[in-house]
Amino acid sequence: MKPPLVLVESCAALPIVSMTMALRTGAARDPVGKEGLCRLMGRLMRRTGGGRSTEELDVHVDSLGGSLGVDASHSVSGVHGTVITRSLQQFVEVLGDVAARPGFDPAEHERLKRETLAEIVEARDHDRALARSNFRRRMYPDHAYGRSVVGSQSSIADLSLDDVRAFHRESYVRDNVVFAFSGDIDPDAANTIAEQLLEALPAGAAPDPSVPAPTFSEGRHLVFVDKPERSQTQILIGTAGTRPQDEDHVALFVANTVFGGTFTARLTQEVREKRGWSYGAYSNLPIDKERRALSLWTFPKAEDAAACLGLELDLLERFVDKGITKKELAWAKRYLVRSHAFALDTASKRVGLLLDEVMYDLPDGYYRDYTRHVEAVTLEQVNAAISRRLDPRNLIVAVVGTASQIFDEVRAAIPELADAQIVPYDRND
Amino acid sequence: MKKNSARTKRLDRLNERPPPHGAVEHIESFAFGPELIGERFRFGNGLQLLFVKDDSAPVTAYHTWYRVGSRHESRGKTGLAHLFEHLMFKETENFGAGEFDRRLEEAGAESNAGTWFDWTHYHVAIPTSHIGLIVRLEAERMTRLILKDPQVASEKEVVANERRYRVDDDVESTASELLWATAFTTHAYHSPTIGWMQDIDGFTTEDCVAFYRTFYAPNNATLIVVGSVSEAALLSKIQTAYGHIPPSTLPFEDVRPEPSQTDERRREILQPTQSDKVLIGYKSPALGDFDHPALCVLNEVLFGGRASRVHSRLVRELELATDLRSFVSPFRDPGLLEIFASARGTHSAELLLDTIDRELASVRHEAVREDELARAKARLELGLVAGLETADGKASTVGFYEVVLGRPNAAFERLDAVRSVTASDVVRVARRYLLESNRTLVLVRPNKTEAEAAQ
Repeated sequence: MKPPLVLVESCAALPIVSMTMALRTGAARDPVGKEGLCRLMGRLMRRTGGGRSTEELDVHVDSLGGSLGVDASHSVSGVHGTVITRSLQQFVEVLGDVAARPGFDPAEHERLKRETLAEIVEARDHDRALARSNFRRRMYPDHAYGRSVVGSQSSIADLSLDDVRAFHRESYVRDNVVFAFSGDIDPDAANTIAEQLLEALPAGAAPDPSVPAPTFSEGRHLVFVDKPERSQTQILIGTAGTRPQDEDHVALFVANTVFGGTFTARLTQEVREKRGWSYGAYSNLPIDKERRALSLWTFPKAEDAAACLGLELDLLERFVDKGITKKELAWAKRYLVRSHAFALDTASKRVGLLLDEVMYDLPDGYYRDYTRHVEAVTLEQVNAAISRRLDPRNLIVAVVGTASQIFDEVRAAIPELADAQIVPYDRND
Repeated sequence: MKKNSARTKRLDRLNERPPPHGAVEHIESFAFGPELIGERFRFGNGLQLLFVKDDSAPVTAYHTWYRVGSRHESRGKTGLAHLFEHLMFKETENFGAGEFDRRLEEAGAESNAGTWFDWTHYHVAIPTSHIGLIVRLEAERMTRLILKDPQVASEKEVVANERRYRVDDDVESTASELLWATAFTTHAYHSPTIGWMQDIDGFTTEDCVAFYRTFYAPNNATLIVVGSVSEAALLSKIQTAYGHIPPSTLPFEDVRPEPSQTDERRREILQPTQSDKVLIGYKSPALGDFDHPALCVLNEVLFGGRASRVHSRLVRELELATDLRSFVSPFRDPGLLEIFASARGTHSAELLLDTIDRELASVRHEAVREDELARAKARLELGLVAGLETADGKASTVGFYEVVLGRPNAAFERLDAVRSVTASDVVRVARRYLLESNRTLVLVRPNKTEAEAAQ
C-alpha cells in the first residue's frame, strides 16, 4: 500500500485533536441533473457509518467529546472532526466507519432527501443566500461553479441510492485521500491513524480532479431577485477574476486588498464611511482550482440601492482605469505580510493552509512563500494585472429587493446593460 | 519566589515617579485552566489589567471591556451603547479620521467590537512587535474622541442599515426582538441592544458626548491581554499611555428588576416567509446563579445537536421542523432560555409547540438518563476547550467572565459545576423554569400575497 499523504501540525497546549480526511473530488463531479449528490452522499455517510443508526452515531460522537462533520465544496469533499484527546482512538474508529463503511440505509436516504428539500425552501428566508445563489448561477452559466452544491428541488428528488453508492465507490479510494492532523498529536501517531484509515478503503484510481475552465458572459447583465417587503437590498457585482496558477494572481490579490479587501479599503471608505449607505462593503477574490469571479458585496437600504450600485460601478471603472498608487501598494503589503501571523497562529490554521495547497493544486510553497511573493510585487505588476484581468464592461449584477419599488431605478443605474431579468425569490430550481 | 521578587522590583521602579494616576499594584495571580497563569494589576485611576502570558504564537490579544451596555440606556434612547461602539473608531485628538483602523491594519492587526446588554467589548489581536500601537490607540480613544455632527449622522445611517440587515429583513431576529420585548416589561432587557429604529434616528451628537463622558473612564474598564508580550513591557506601556487619565464618578445604575411572570404571554406576527415558526422564551436564571450550569446541561439534553431529545423527535422522527435552535442567556440578570423552531412545509406553529411541550413535560416528570447527561457534559466541555485555541479566544473568555461575574477564571469553575450536575439537578431546573406561566411565545405565520393565497 502506497503511504498516504499526511500533513501534521502538533501543538499540545490544549487536549484536543483535529483531523481531516480530504478528497480531491467535490460537487463539480455531480452529474448534470444530479446536483447535490456529493453533499448528500457525505451527509448520508455521516448518518449511517458502520451500519449504525444516526441516533447511535450522534450519541456516540457527542459522548466522546467530539464533533464530526462532512464537507462538500465544488472542488473538495471529505470528513473532518475534533475530539478531546482521551477519546482519540474511539473517535478514529467512528471516522473510519463513516468514511469506509457507510450503511447507506434506504430509509435514512429518503429522510435526508426530504430534509434537504425542506432546507432548500428554508434558505429563501435568507436574502444573502438568495443573492449568492442567483449570482453564481448567472456568473458561471453552463459550468459546475454555477450549479448548487446543495442541489435543487428537482435534482434532489431524483437522487437514488444507487447514485449515492456509485459516487462513494468512485471517490473514496486510497489514491484520492489526503490527511491533515493538528493539535495534541505527534506525527508518528498521525501516520499510524492515517494508515489505519486508509487500509479500510479500496485501492483504485482517483477520479480526474480537474474542472474545466469557466467561460464568462460578455456585457452587463442584471438578475433581480424579487422578494416582498424588503427594506434593504443585497447587491453582488462580479467580473471574472484570476486563478492561483496565473503569474499575476498575487498581484491581483494585492490589488483587491486595496479596492475592497479590508475595512479601510476604497469600497468601505466610499460606501460606508463617507455615505453610511451599507453596514458592510467588501470585495472578494476567492481561490479555487479554476478562475473565479472578483465580486463586490454591499447591502444598502432600498432607497439607496440604485445610488450605491452606481457608485460601486464608478469605483470599479476608476480602479481598472487608473489602478492603485504607490502609497496604497506599500500599505497593502504591510497589511498582508504582517496580518499573515494570524493565518499561522494555531496548529489547525497552519495545517489548513498546507491542506489547501494540496487540494487546490496551488503553486508549490504558495503559503510558505506567501509573504515573500507579496513583498516582491511591483506597482507595474499590480496595475497590469488589474487591467488585464478585470473588465467592468463584462459584469453580472445580482440584487435581492422588492421589484415594484426599485427595479426600474436599479436597472437605470447600470449603463450599457445588455439584459435584465426578474426572478421570483421562491422559484423552484 | 524569584519571579515574584522580580515583579516587586519592577513595580517599585514603575511606582518611583508614576504619572498622576499611573501607580500600579499587583492584586492577585489566578490559574487559567491547567496550563496558564493570569495576573491582575490595578492602576491608580482604577483601570484593571488582567494579563495571561501565552507564548504559543508571536501575537497578542488586547481587549478592552467597558462595564456599560444597553442595560444602562433609558427608554427612548435605546441603541446608544451600540452606536457609541461604532463612533469609537472615529477621529481622536491625536489621530485623524480613519487613522485608527488604517494604522491597525498596517500593523497587521485584527480589530472589531461588540455590544450587548451588560458590556461593550473592543478586541484587537496584533503581532506582538506592534503592541505599543494598540496601547496608545486604546488609551487615546478612552477619553480623547472627537464627536462631530457629520460623523454621528453618517454612523447613525450605518447602524440603521445594520439593523435592517440583522433584524428588519430577518424573520427570526424580528420575532426574537418581539419575544424579548414581550417577556420583559420593566427590566432594560426589554429593548434590543441595536436599539429601536426611531431611537437610532433621534440621537444627537450631544447624546453621544454625554454617554462618553459618563461611561468611558479607566475605572469603568478592564484590559485583558493574552499573548507573547512581556509583562514588564506591557506594564510600562500601559502606565505611560493611561496613567494621566483621571477616574470618573460613575453613575448609580437604576436597575429595575423584572417582576415575576405569572401568565403565559403570546404574540403572533405575519412575515414574508415560506413556513410557520415558533419562538419560546422561558425566564431563566442569571449567569452567576447556582442553577445556570444545570439549565445549560438540560438545554443540551433537549436541544444540543441532532442526538438531543427535541431534535430527534421534531426534526428526524416526525419531520415537523427544518431548523431548531436554543440558547440560555449568559447575562448578569435573569434572561431567557430561548427556543426557535421553523416548520417544515405546511405544519403549524401550534403543532411544533405541542410537540416541544411534550418533550419538556417528560424532563419535568422523570430523570434524564446517565448517558444523556454524559453526552451533554461532553458537548459543553468540547465547546469551552475549542474556544481557547487562539489568544483572542482566551482573552474573550477571561474578559467575559470577569465583566459579568467578576471572576476571570469562572469558565473553568463553570466546567467543574457542569461536570457535577446530576439527574436530580436537571429535574429541579426543569420543574423550576420550564413552566407555561413562566414563558412567552411568538408565533410567525407566512404573509402570503393575494396570488399565493388563492393558489
